Amino acid sequence: MAPIVRISNLDKYFGRLHVLKNISLEVQPREVICLIGRSGSGKSTLLRCINFLEEPSGGSIEVDGLTVHSHERGNEHRQRIHEVRLKTGMVFQEFNLFPHMSVLQNVIEGPVTVKGMERSEAIALGEKNLDSVGMLFKRDEYPLRLSGGQKQRVAIARALTMQPRVMLFDEPTSALDPELIGEVLNVMKKVAKDGMTMIVVTHEMGFAREVADRVLVMAEGEIIEDANPTALFSAPKDPRTQALIERYRTGGR
Amino acid sequence: MDTANSSGQSQADLLVAVQKRKQAQFRMGVGATWGILLLILIFLFSGKSIGSYQTIQLNTEFMRNNLAFIGGGLGQTLFVSILSILLAMLLALLTALGRLSTFPPIFALSTFYVSLIRGTPLYLQIFFFFLALPQLGIILSGVLAGVLALGLNYGAYMSETFRAALSSVGKGQREAATALGMTPLQTMRRVILPQALRFAIPPMGNDFISMTKDSALVSATGFVHELMWRAQKVGRAQFNNLEALLMAAMFYWVMTLLLTFLQSRLEAYLAKGDR
Repeated sequence: MAPIVRISNLDKYFGRLHVLKNISLEVQPREVICLIGRSGSGKSTLLRCINFLEEPSGGSIEVDGLTVHSHERGNEHRQRIHEVRLKTGMVFQEFNLFPHMSVLQNVIEGPVTVKGMERSEAIALGEKNLDSVGMLFKRDEYPLRLSGGQKQRVAIARALTMQPRVMLFDEPTSALDPELIGEVLNVMKKVAKDGMTMIVVTHEMGFAREVADRVLVMAEGEIIEDANPTALFSAPKDPRTQALIERYRTGGR
Repeated sequence: MDTANSSGQSQADLLVAVQKRKQAQFRMGVGATWGILLLILIFLFSGKSIGSYQTIQLNTEFMRNNLAFIGGGLGQTLFVSILSILLAMLLALLTALGRLSTFPPIFALSTFYVSLIRGTPLYLQIFFFFLALPQLGIILSGVLAGVLALGLNYGAYMSETFRAALSSVGKGQREAATALGMTPLQTMRRVILPQALRFAIPPMGNDFISMTKDSALVSATGFVHELMWRAQKVGRAQFNNLEALLMAAMFYWVMTLLLTFLQSRLEAYLAKGDR
């Protein structure tokens, strides 16, 4: 099967800082990938390059058959980036719900404004997704009235309502109180079970072990290990991976 | 258990009551002092005497006769202020957006305009529209020239307010919109502006209040018959400047008090809407 995401020779500099070093990666449809690593290892930057929230300095990104080379410029290039963004849904650490819109408005904003979907159709789709994340009962509430876990579940529904091919999660539970993490992880498991391709930057080792098909370990801008979770957690090869896993074991997460 | 609970409840009630009483006392104290200060001010202009000291004697007949004439300028003052603030808001928004542009000419146009206007006195700008433009064959009506001068001036200052409001919307909002596939224009219109405008409304109220007073400057040109112009006209003619200016001052003050009250209501309303 052809990969749904293919990253080739990706480089990213912040000023003089080389944060991603010649990264290549293929993700198969329906695969769930967890990206782990210490902060500053480049895992969030890698994720943000996939939908061009960060502009890659070199290499290319291919999503669902659509390739964008970093060296290209111009209108056609911008159009392709736009199409890649339509194929990817993003969930942020800080939720980033629109505070001036109700839960339902948040969820249908993308389909209506960006895709030009009929409002009634978007509402039906949005309500279905809100229901699947267990947030339909708050459909007319404003984000300020929601708990962190509820906000993140709405954010997942918002991304799903764009009907993406791939979902990107950027530390989706890192801003949450410990007792709220479970409800978000459960929703993510459900999304994975429904067959969505997912790339998840996370510190949740339990989630990675249980849900991921592959776990990638990043350090200093490189992927230092790429294995299925059973192999990775029982027999980590790189000493940096060993240290990382050991730290989470003793840290209780 | 029950009694402990209810006594805990009444303890809280007690504290809240004390707090409320303190707040009420403070408000009453402030109100009473305002009243006393106002009475002193009135007494100062009452013409009454204490011993050998005589307070200021106003020509009340003149004041009665000219109240309607000076007050008649209120409408003109508000008319000029409202038109000017609308023009200023439009210019301020365009300028603030221009400051965000990565296209050099647009960015330069915004900064050039703000620099030029802020680098010259408002008084000069007003005269420029009334006296300098006619020399070039451009003759504007008094109100139009006044509105253009005030609007251009306030637009430059208010653009900073708008700029601050725009930058107060978090970076995550822009990223969320971008990730959904919104274009920069859609992001601005649907996500950034609605949030920024809400931040900008209270300072815009302040600007409007100060504009109602700065509109007095257009009286200097003699073509806009607002409060200040009328006060000067009757004051000079009959050498009752003291009375005339006092009356105009009272009109401005009452107008400002009313607008400040309206603004505080608007702010309270917006705060409540902050869900």
